[in-house]
Amino acid sequence: MTVAVLTWTARLRQRAFRSRPADRAPVVLRHSRIYILPTRRGFAIIATLILMLLTSLNYALSLGLVLTFFLGGLVAAALLHTFRNLAGLEIKPLAGGEAFAGEPLAFSVALAAGAIARRAIELRAAGAMASVSLVPYATQAIALRVPTQARGRIALGRITLSSDQPLGLWRGFAYVHFPLTGVVFPAPELNAPPPPAGAEGAGERTAGASADSELAGLRDYQPGDPLQRVAWKAVARGAGWFSKSFEGSSGQGTVELAWASVPAALAIEARLARLTAWVLACERAARPFALTLPGVQLRPALSREHLREALTALALFDADTR
Amino acid sequence: MQATAARPLDPAQIRALGVLLVAAQLPLVVHLPIWVAAFGLFVAGLRFALLRRDGRLLRTRPARIPSWALALFAVAIALALRKSYGYFVGRDPCVAFLFVLAGIKFLEIRTARDGTLLACLAMFVALTPFFYSQSLLGGLAMLPAIVAAGVALEALARREPGAADPSMRSAWTRSASLIAQGLPIAAGLFLVFPRLATPLWGLPADHAAQSGLSDRMAPGSISELSLSDAVAFRVTFDGPPPRPADRYWRGPVLSLFNGREWRALPPRPGGSLARGDRPVRYAVTLEPDDHRWLFALDLPSSLPVADSGSVASSGPVASLARDLQLVTRAPLTRPLRYVQESILGTRHPVASADELRIDARMPPGNPRAVTFAQALRREHPGDRDYIATVLRWFRDQPFHYTLQPPLLEDHPVDAFLFDTRRGFCEHFASAFVVLLRAAGIPARVVTGYQGGEINPRGGYMIVRQSDAHAWAEAVVDGQWQRFDPTAVVAPSRIERGLYGSVPASDPVPLFARGDSGWINNVQLALDAINYRWRRNVIEFDHDRQRTLWRNWGLDGFPAWQAAAVAMAAVLAWAGAVFAAFAVKRRRGERTVRLWNALCRRLARAGLPRPAWEGPIAYASRAAKRWPQFAIAFGAIGDAYAMLRFGPVSDDERSALVATLARAIEVLPSPAALRATAHT
Repeated sequence: MTVAVLTWTARLRQRAFRSRPADRAPVVLRHSRIYILPTRRGFAIIATLILMLLTSLNYALSLGLVLTFFLGGLVAAALLHTFRNLAGLEIKPLAGGEAFAGEPLAFSVALAAGAIARRAIELRAAGAMASVSLVPYATQAIALRVPTQARGRIALGRITLSSDQPLGLWRGFAYVHFPLTGVVFPAPELNAPPPPAGAEGAGERTAGASADSELAGLRDYQPGDPLQRVAWKAVARGAGWFSKSFEGSSGQGTVELAWASVPAALAIEARLARLTAWVLACERAARPFALTLPGVQLRPALSREHLREALTALALFDADTR
Repeated sequence: MQATAARPLDPAQIRALGVLLVAAQLPLVVHLPIWVAAFGLFVAGLRFALLRRDGRLLRTRPARIPSWALALFAVAIALALRKSYGYFVGRDPCVAFLFVLAGIKFLEIRTARDGTLLACLAMFVALTPFFYSQSLLGGLAMLPAIVAAGVALEALARREPGAADPSMRSAWTRSASLIAQGLPIAAGLFLVFPRLATPLWGLPADHAAQSGLSDRMAPGSISELSLSDAVAFRVTFDGPPPRPADRYWRGPVLSLFNGREWRALPPRPGGSLARGDRPVRYAVTLEPDDHRWLFALDLPSSLPVADSGSVASSGPVASLARDLQLVTRAPLTRPLRYVQESILGTRHPVASADELRIDARMPPGNPRAVTFAQALRREHPGDRDYIATVLRWFRDQPFHYTLQPPLLEDHPVDAFLFDTRRGFCEHFASAFVVLLRAAGIPARVVTGYQGGEINPRGGYMIVRQSDAHAWAEAVVDGQWQRFDPTAVVAPSRIERGLYGSVPASDPVPLFARGDSGWINNVQLALDAINYRWRRNVIEFDHDRQRTLWRNWGLDGFPAWQAAAVAMAAVLAWAGAVFAAFAVKRRRGERTVRLWNALCRRLARAGLPRPAWEGPIAYASRAAKRWPQFAIAFGAIGDAYAMLRFGPVSDDERSALVATLARAIEVLPSPAALRATAHT
């Protein structure tokens, strides 16, 4: 992110609205960031108090004034508590996630409570919402599941932390804007034709044929591995979490996936969707694959990193660089 | 926002709102017609019953009465109130309607928005009892509603229904603590928030029940008043109070007689203040009675001036009418404290010939009395002689002074003078004036209060409705002179008050009985508290406030300086509250400091704590390494885990912190630990 030299108005606007992703982790919420406004209920209660005040003044009801001012003191104290519920809260970005278009993409951030309990802190960003309460000194990772539509890199954008505790009369909020991005892979084509045959043929294997495949070994489980591949016996033994990795039994060769191997008649997004489906099919079938896109050349391999590289390349494919 | 406003309420939230509503309704109940009070509470109770049934049937959506039925209800209630009060647009029926409406709204609430509306309604309902009474008791009765408001708002603000549902008790404590934190703001506002010298909008000419003396007097009206213990006014004297026989508090003067009832003339200006040396100076705190007259000792020698603390301000609050009544411009709806001076005397000059003409009219009706008077007059042509004879006749004939006179039908003066001969002061005064007028002597009835009880605890005098009295004035030698026929019949009435003068079987109100021992003592003590309450809370009005500001040197501050002072005060308050928070937090921080120091020491001793290891696991690992300190490590691990993760009260917290600190102190230096490690 290039933060150019800003004019003072722009700096002021940035300070007020945090519209640029310029925050560095971690951010501790201080008074300069926390805004407080009455909620609708707050406005209603304040209006009632004003009515009570006018009535008491007009009829010279001293006790009416006492009642009104007691309740006014309650409202004022609630303001301080609302502020305190946010002040000193620490937030830092953990990771921007990955997802296929149409599925929610989870960004994770961590909240640290500091010395006091935090009640019902709401986080909103890019259409995602999460609410969390924290005990003193607790640190908690929070997933913001942002809905996705199109492939590409998406930014989490500005996070709004807010809370209307304890009485729901005041809403305190603060903006935090981290340069946190995630990658949205193209949605795989449904019922795609099978990927082109590998160098040594025998491409009739389909997804789910892993039973026929040979167990190549175990590797550490990683979040996202299909559950069918978890080595449950190892888990049951207490040895830890492993995923089985397979190798084609008939010694299949590499599958060459290329931009050119998709019918040119299809639209760009449709071609990307098909390539994505093929990449996933190869992964499921445990067949090494290579991917060639205009400007991108991935050597044949079969691994999580390779898969991610391939999907990222598809996600960030820019039609103009062809 | 829309979504949160339409969020359905869970039963706990509805219950909290119901508690707020009932807490707001209860203090008002005593001021409402019984059927309104019963109905309003009944509908609130009905919702509670429905909630209970929901709980039994394990319903998820709370049952409620449909809205259209409730609208119908509300209209029916409005009509019933119209019928009961005779009018609807007025303070009292509207308060009653609001009372019932809040109950009906409670039957119906379903969403968070309904909850907000009900909370607002209930808060306003909590204000309404003060239209009727601002007693100390009323002030205490509003406290539950204030705390309940905090509880209800907190319940409404709760996000996860059911989850972490705090117990009712702690919600009450939290709310009370919030209110306590807001107390400085409340007190500051009460002291400095500008009061209105004049009302913003015209107080509706309400058909409020007038209390105390009225400008009419029929047989029975004062004896009925005398059944009341209520305080009419309180008086503080500069110097010693006058003797009981001089305590004639002049009120409405009644000149018009129709044969049965006496009425006052419309007040006309032209009264002259009494002159003399050694005036009695005093301050009267008059309870609002919705009348236009003030009371002063006979004879007023100054116009009343509103008393606002140390400095008397502004002009007189009433003018002196021709018949020496102190008349205000508008009916009294608020308590009034005024400073007054009087010359104790029984004679004052006639203001105009017009007076003589009106007050010498031949009384209508009562033929026997008129005949009797005229016969007597022929024997005693001198005015003084005639009046003395009449008074002597009252004394010699078997007249009885009683609170329970027999009912008098036509010609009540005749019946009283010649048949029943049992009456209260209004009978004597009325009959006396009739006898004088029939003889051609100008005379009139004066009503007011006679007497007053000194409260030794407050050094002030209480005058009650039971001290209400009626006496007479007649023109003798060109001057009005006071005559009290009651005093002739029952001299003890003037010296010792009502209780000593009427038969023991009469229903004299409790506090008018001077001899009720400890009850009277307790009552006087309570009255002293009430009086102080009145002076310092209820009567803290525009004038008192200006006086206070002046005393503080705040008066005449430029607006910006006043704003700066207010700002500084608010900041100081916020600072104080945050400082209180910080004290609480430091206790938490000390826990972490101790623990981190311990972890560093153990790491140097060869047992670092991995980031993932919890306190109990780490402590038990340390206990295995250094079994000689197993007990200390156990205590450390438990205390720290409890402080960090357990639910602990503030008391337990300080005890646990102390335990933690002591247990850590027990451990030797890292080098010594390293040397004794058991591996």
